[in-house]
Amino acid sequence: MLVLIAGGGSVGRHMASRLAASGHQIRIIDNDLKVVETRSKQAVFGVTWVFGDACDVGVLDSAGAREADVFTSVTGDDEDNLVVSLLAKQEFGVPRVIARVNNPRNEWLFTEMWGVDIAVSTPQLLTSLVEEAVSVGALVRLLSLERGRANLVEVTLTTDSPAVGTRISESHLPREAAVVAVIRAGHVIVPSPDLVLLDGDETIVLLTGSTEDEDALRIALVGEEH
Amino acid sequence: MGLLNRIRSNTTPQQLADQEPEATPISDVVARSQVTVRGTITRIKAIPKSGMPSLAVTIDDGTATATAIWSGRRAIGGVTLGRRLDVTGTAVSSARGFEFYNPLYTLRE
Amino acid sequence: MDAVIVGCGRVGSTLAQQLLATGHRVCVVDRKADSFRRLGDNYTGKTVVGVGFDREVLEAAGVTETTAVAAVTSGDNSNILIARVAREQFGAQRVVARIYDPQRAAVYGRLGISTVASVAWTVGRIKGDLFPDAGHSLWSDPSETIDIHELRTPAAIAGTSIAEFEKQHQVRVVSLSRNGATTLADGSLLLQQDDNIHLAIVRGTLLNLDAVGKGH
Repeated sequence: MLVLIAGGGSVGRHMASRLAASGHQIRIIDNDLKVVETRSKQAVFGVTWVFGDACDVGVLDSAGAREADVFTSVTGDDEDNLVVSLLAKQEFGVPRVIARVNNPRNEWLFTEMWGVDIAVSTPQLLTSLVEEAVSVGALVRLLSLERGRANLVEVTLTTDSPAVGTRISESHLPREAAVVAVIRAGHVIVPSPDLVLLDGDETIVLLTGSTEDEDALRIALVGEEH
Repeated sequence: MGLLNRIRSNTTPQQLADQEPEATPISDVVARSQVTVRGTITRIKAIPKSGMPSLAVTIDDGTATATAIWSGRRAIGGVTLGRRLDVTGTAVSSARGFEFYNPLYTLRE
Repeated sequence: MDAVIVGCGRVGSTLAQQLLATGHRVCVVDRKADSFRRLGDNYTGKTVVGVGFDREVLEAAGVTETTAVAAVTSGDNSNILIARVAREQFGAQRVVARIYDPQRAAVYGRLGISTVASVAWTVGRIKGDLFPDAGHSLWSDPSETIDIHELRTPAAIAGTSIAEFEKQHQVRVVSLSRNGATTLADGSLLLQQDDNIHLAIVRGTLLNLDAVGKGH
């Protein structure tokens, strides 16, 4: 796959080397000529550097945006990331546009209104991970997919959970929810509809639909009290 | 030369009025190419996206339909059912056929 | 608030002072409090410190549907963010963004946002776009009979041909700018929302133009 990265800072470079190692073709766009010249000399297989302003349609065009499978904008500037995402989607129809949120205050802007399919906020991600670590018996949102139309959530079951002791197929999950994994005693189980849920199970659920569905899921897995 | 320069140097409003430049039949459109399609507006829908207004306008040229989506707009003056409309932009394939995000448009008689 | 100006540089501060002088209620927003010194000691308008695309900041500045919003910070990207948030979140109908890069201006024009792309023209053009009913003529002939005005096509007349518009309003449309390209007006061309047209009118018919400009 061809992956374009706007922003050759540490995040961009790290992504580039990891993705190139997995066999993807990477182009990094950066507007600092010195950085581009220096990095181009330290050639990494599969990674090409492009000098220019990623907010310039001409630069994106010559970098191959029209052929790109994925576009990620990971500069340290939220305004730039939003504008670059909009251009990637609007001018080049890139199927998957991923943008980095630097300041959590700006996260609400990172939606399809700016061409963003997936927003990755480091502080938000850290918060989710911490919440996941400390919260038992609550619904924790892990990842937002398809522009917020689907969410991956996690619930660690307690004895209060109405689902404990029942089969997944009988646990009154909303239709829009699918249990995709159960982590039990450190082992990942790919669940069948007949799997009986137990106290302490970490359930990973893919949820599409509205906030009502999220509420219904919470009632089914956490219980009414919470 | 940048993409926009090409668009601008190719299509001034005068030319749009005088010549009705070639439009591509929607059924011949190649995904992610920059094209102009022309058809009759068959459907106009204000769609909330991420809590913000967006306007989806579907045109039909007899070969297929395509939808132009303008984010942040509830209505565009002159864009009404039955009107002929040119849409110029990058065609993005979706489950509902080709979509154009915030394309250029020209009203036709 | 009548007008909210985001960015207190040379353009923003000059614009604020001029609008204040003509009796408008004005609020200026800037990231840095010390930028407000450009407004001078006599400035009696409001100021808000903050990022212009922050919803809370625009709310504090008093942006509503009827507020005219000028995004005139030094950054093209910031300006376009501010303009979209003001229009899409607050429903502000009169929004102008100053953009240095003309290529970008064309891209954002398609989002329906009015952009002013030249530094030299910025103050005059924004004034004209924000307050089209001010009756400010761009040019008058020596006998002061014919005035040239600039008009942003309101939604209500979109779809009307230039010939029809000329007949209805007793004006001559001289030129038309759309998506960054300008041409001499052709009678058969259909007007579109947000087209920028220059028109010649006999001075007495000014009221007619005002009705068009104010209508939407």
